[in-house]
Amino acid sequence: MPSGKSAKRLLVLGLLVLAALFLAGLITGGIGTAILQGEDKEPIFVSQPEVHLPPQTIFPNSARDHYIEFLEAEEKEKAEGHGALTHHEEELVAGGPFGGGSWVVTNTMLSAWVTSLLLIGLFVLVARRAKMVPGRLQSLVEIVVETLLNFVEGVIGRDMARKVFPLIATIFLFVLLNAWIALIPIYPVLGFENSHGDLAVHLLRSAGTDLNMPLALALVSFVFVEFLGLRHLGLSYIGKFIPVGSFLRSLRRKDIFGAFVAVFVGFLEMISEMVRIVSFTFRLFGNMTAGEVLVLMATFLVPFVATVAVYGLELLVGLVQALIFAGLTLVFATIAIASHQEEH
Amino acid sequence: MGDLGLNLPSLIAFLVNFVILLVILYVFAYKPILRMMDQRSDKIREGLEAAETARQEMARSQADTQRALNEARLEGQKLIEQAREVAERFRDEERGRAQREAEAIIARAREDIARERDAAIQEVRAHFADLAIAAAERIIERSLDRDAHSQLIAGVLDNGASLRDDG
Repeated sequence: MPSGKSAKRLLVLGLLVLAALFLAGLITGGIGTAILQGEDKEPIFVSQPEVHLPPQTIFPNSARDHYIEFLEAEEKEKAEGHGALTHHEEELVAGGPFGGGSWVVTNTMLSAWVTSLLLIGLFVLVARRAKMVPGRLQSLVEIVVETLLNFVEGVIGRDMARKVFPLIATIFLFVLLNAWIALIPIYPVLGFENSHGDLAVHLLRSAGTDLNMPLALALVSFVFVEFLGLRHLGLSYIGKFIPVGSFLRSLRRKDIFGAFVAVFVGFLEMISEMVRIVSFTFRLFGNMTAGEVLVLMATFLVPFVATVAVYGLELLVGLVQALIFAGLTLVFATIAIASHQEEH
Repeated sequence: MGDLGLNLPSLIAFLVNFVILLVILYVFAYKPILRMMDQRSDKIREGLEAAETARQEMARSQADTQRALNEARLEGQKLIEQAREVAERFRDEERGRAQREAEAIIARAREDIARERDAAIQEVRAHFADLAIAAAERIIERSLDRDAHSQLIAGVLDNGASLRDDG
């Protein structure tokens, strides 16, 4: 570590370099190019990104080629109108991105596999070599596990914590790592070219931007919560949704309105459970997709320095989304096992 | 929904992916890691408890030692006291016995002396009587009635004795 005057000089120098990079980014990026050279010019370093909302097919190769052809046909349709398409291209557009057979590997899936393998590798390796006196890696993993366990215990209590911990922790880790791994700059770079030599299909893409991934997690979370409620409270858990008891009591009191309210409340409870799936899904999907777009656009508009702030923001968003997904599942589980005493 | 990329095969793929991840992490990571952490916390707790017990044990044994020491000191003092008493008594007894013995010796000596003196007096008296008779015989040249003269001599000697006692 340099000290005193030289440290100060280094700092100033570093700041100057950063400022210069920022300026260079401003000038060479999308904004600078549009202002200085006209709006239809391409920036030098980063071309205008194209964001495809659906995930892209990468394996098997035939499916990928089909997908690339489909993309080209679609582009042509947009540019030249439906009439310009050949018969083959028309069929492609009508057939959709997967062209019938949809058991394919998408780039989001591959990313999720990478994430899963990393998680398994790290955790299983640490668990295998776990020692009473932990090393650095083991300490790191144990800190993560312990923090999560404390979090779970704080919400659901000590008795149930060990039962729900595996799912909550896995959701948290999976969402977090999926969000963070997509920030590695190779993600938007690796891919397959189309016939024009442009990057048409990305090899890897943040799994959270694939609606299926949040939906899968939301379904797991939903099934887990309902299962936990059923196992913990038995039939009385179902009574929350089909309130037979309070319905019959109201009828005996000749309280038709009360009976109606009981049925309606049960219906509302059911709806609210179902809506969780949707909110879970789109919250994560929206955040991840927005993050991806934000990073791409920031890199396009002002490359180099300004994107660092966006990366910081995205790290935070990833953490927050992981916490929300795991935390909400935990809270819903806690609510499900809390016996809602019906007055008898 | 198709525009968003939602489709069943992908959904199933992600579901399977997540469930496999969950199971593997649960069996091969969370379980052993949590077990290890539990073991460690158990061990730490045991260690702390053992330390606490050892501390108490030490305090107790220290108190024991102190008490034993005090007891020993008291015992010692008592012993010394007793010894002193015994010695004193022994000295007194010895002194008394010595005195008594000395007195007995003195008394016996006195008795001996008295007896010696009496014997000597008796002897002197006997010799003196014979001597006196012989002398008288020689003087008067005749035999005297021994018994009558003995009485006479005893009367003279008694006078002599009374004279000597006065002397």
